[in-house]
Amino acid sequence: MSSSEQELQIHPIVQESVVHNAKTLSNFHSLTASLFGVTAGILGLESYAGFLLYLVLSVITTLLFYVIQVAPASLAEKKPLFDTTRFFKGALDFWTGGLFSGLSGFVLTWTLFYGLVRV
Amino acid sequence: MGFPARLVTLAGLVLLAHAGYSAQEHAALSSTLVNLQLSAKTLPLDISIETIVATLLVSLGLIWGSPQLRPIQWHVWAGKIEREGIAGSASQGKEAEKNFQGNPFNALEFRSGFVDIRKQRRDFADWAKSGK
Repeated sequence: MSSSEQELQIHPIVQESVVHNAKTLSNFHSLTASLFGVTAGILGLESYAGFLLYLVLSVITTLLFYVIQVAPASLAEKKPLFDTTRFFKGALDFWTGGLFSGLSGFVLTWTLFYGLVRV
Repeated sequence: MGFPARLVTLAGLVLLAHAGYSAQEHAALSSTLVNLQLSAKTLPLDISIETIVATLLVSLGLIWGSPQLRPIQWHVWAGKIEREGIAGSASQGKEAEKNFQGNPFNALEFRSGFVDIRKQRRDFADWAKSGK
């Protein structure tokens, strides 16, 4: 038995909660990605500036998500700051997962609103 | 989704729609009035600020209104349910109440005891006899 398997046997994980949390996060990311597309379209950004806005806004909203949804319960459990292991398996998944999944939705609404506002 | 969260999201969407309309009007006006030296490329500062604020408001409302996360580690999750019971999920609204599965240790705590089958048989015999 490998060590990670043994770890799982000792500290079992509730699969339903994992699915629920991942769904909540991905829902949020896909919604906000389209929203950022609307913002970039209204602002009339082009090329790199639009992607930069997407990156900055994504980082800000992920931080906000951490502060509002994760931090109260996580810090009460005496976990270190920016630790998401109470709700998510991988830290990288939480911090960067939405960046790539929302990119296509972002470009879609970005081009749509750029065209709507300026043509 | 709580009512205040909905309100924040709605306010953000209204602001965003207003900003979009303003930007569209600005673009339409500046393309017709070329002699006024307005460039269509640069948006007025107030519209930019309104757009950014609206975006942040909507995402704040979305975060606030998204369903509460659940602990993934079994002992944390089960401990929370046992401590709070139905009240813990009832405070999170209808959706959480629907998903509530109850205490994971219910099977252990409410196990029925052994049945005294001989006593039941004796009682039945007495009842049958007295009926005659």
